Amino acid sequence: MDNATNKAKPFEFMQCISIIKSTAKRAADLHELRDLIATVSEESIFHHTCQYFLKGRIREYTNDFAHWVGESLEESALAEQLSSIDPYEFKSISELRSALLTVIDNYFESFPEPREALAGEEFYFNETITIVFPARIRAKNLAEFLIAIRYIDAASIYYHFHEARTRLGSGTDDFSKWFDEVLGEQELARRLWAIDPFMHSIEGIREHIVEIVDEKVKRDMEITGVEE
Amino acid sequence: MISKYTGIAPKGDLILLQRLGEIFRDKSFLHVNSTRAGGGVAEILQRMIPILQDLGINARWEVIEGDERFFDITKKIHNALQGNHETITEEMWRHHYEVNRRNAEKLDLEADAVLIHDPQPAPLIEFKPQGGEADRVPWLWRCHIDVSNPLQEVCDYLRRYCEKYDAAVFSVSKFARAMSIDEFIIPPSIDPLSEKNRDLTEEEIRQTLERYDIPADRSIILQVSRFDRFKDPIGVIKAYRMVKKYNDCILILAGSPASDDPEGEIVLNEVREYASNDPDVHILLLPPFSDRDINALQRSATVVLQKSIKEGFGLTVSEAMWKGKPVIGGATGGIPLQIVHGFTGFLVHTPEGAAFRIRQFLNNPHMVEKMGQRSKEYIRTNFLITRQIRDYLSVWYAIKNNGKSVYEL
Repeated sequence: MDNATNKAKPFEFMQCISIIKSTAKRAADLHELRDLIATVSEESIFHHTCQYFLKGRIREYTNDFAHWVGESLEESALAEQLSSIDPYEFKSISELRSALLTVIDNYFESFPEPREALAGEEFYFNETITIVFPARIRAKNLAEFLIAIRYIDAASIYYHFHEARTRLGSGTDDFSKWFDEVLGEQELARRLWAIDPFMHSIEGIREHIVEIVDEKVKRDMEITGVEE
Repeated sequence: MISKYTGIAPKGDLILLQRLGEIFRDKSFLHVNSTRAGGGVAEILQRMIPILQDLGINARWEVIEGDERFFDITKKIHNALQGNHETITEEMWRHHYEVNRRNAEKLDLEADAVLIHDPQPAPLIEFKPQGGEADRVPWLWRCHIDVSNPLQEVCDYLRRYCEKYDAAVFSVSKFARAMSIDEFIIPPSIDPLSEKNRDLTEEEIRQTLERYDIPADRSIILQVSRFDRFKDPIGVIKAYRMVKKYNDCILILAGSPASDDPEGEIVLNEVREYASNDPDVHILLLPPFSDRDINALQRSATVVLQKSIKEGFGLTVSEAMWKGKPVIGGATGGIPLQIVHGFTGFLVHTPEGAAFRIRQFLNNPHMVEKMGQRSKEYIRTNFLITRQIRDYLSVWYAIKNNGKSVYEL
């Protein structure tokens, strides 16, 4: 795509919602959790890891499995290890599934008889149906992007920043890709990509994006001001 | 009408609703339940039907009729599904079926999608119109009850109806049962514009307090719910008595009777007796459609409780949170979905636990304010009626389009 065409291509904000579908499978202890992680659908693994970030606020853990192991089974060491698994590091859900199983299997070697969850505190495996649709907001340049990102629904940030990592599968997200390929702003793309999705809630990520883009817009305006 | 939600509901939900409204324009969407008034189901339907119609969908709401015996039986089924020991004889199940058969003869069950609410009208699936297009109409069974620990034989009997539906919808993951049909999780919701949840003027609030002789200058502990043992009104009074040793306060237990709940009066009398004429315990039996008064009471409360032992979802929690009140709730049913412990309120398991958290709130107005703000935003993004309608229409769309996992609209 030549530069002139690229510059004409605005960023079209999309967003997604997820409808939860039960698998009716539940685990009452770590052995059952392990066996079900080994056999449930890829959609279910995706939901309990990648879509954890849709929950909105920063929590102790980074996926549902770690959350349950830490809170309901009170197996803190395993919860820490499960939490350190980065779902975006893997090329496929099958690799991610193997990584989860390896961590649990290693834990069994030291603690072969972990405790059971209380009745009603079991882990429920779900899947989701995702519906993607335009947010009816587009940005033609960085200034418009800055306004939009401040007010767009959190679900749109999730779609472009988190979900895109799995969808694009090439070490980028939708925002960084647009900065890089359409605006030719490689440094901005690099800085945005460097925001760690694990360390912030979606609102925290919004704040970081605003900060980075705001700084760039301000700098560009200053440069324009001193141009002869 | 949908435009009235602009600036209140999340924008994305409104956009998707408009899109789904275009897709299902002029299609008919039938809802059937067993009461027009009282309880969360009737309340949601009263608000949802006009919104669906405004989106261009031909939404209808039918109510099945039954004799006293029918509602005694369905109350027993309801209690058994929530774990109580009840005996439902073969003859009682036959009456349940017969009443539904008679209703099916009177009701117009032709529609493009059908949503049957709760066990009372579940046998209607046996009378689903047959042939041609009718065979492709999705029939969904919507269970609003906490069925996480049901009486197995009652659950199994009901399953023979449920599994004939195209899909079931539950409020919380843990309610879903292993069934041969798709099961979706859709939490219920509140309408921020309804009489029960809209903003009120100071004058409107004052009128309600005066009408019920409630002092405006004392801390108010409030629980709004049916008079039902699963809502633990006695436990609430116990908690209030523990608090009263340390803090001045009054207790309000407010509830409306529901036409499908014959036990209500018995429980109400038990509660009155237990309160034993304490002038600071106000037991208010509100007539149906007392929405503005409930709204005013929730806005006047210092602390709101929903100390249920079993709960379908507990929408009164969302109502109070929408008014910026942090809620103390029983850790059951859908309550933990609304109350994020320590963030938007507190989850408790005993009257002692409730009393401790009430005291914490009464002594920390700053904590009340901060948790209250978070509560309101949490409800805005997760539990408004626009989200629930969006979910129903999305499920309808997914079923019609062969159950893929991602759709682009």
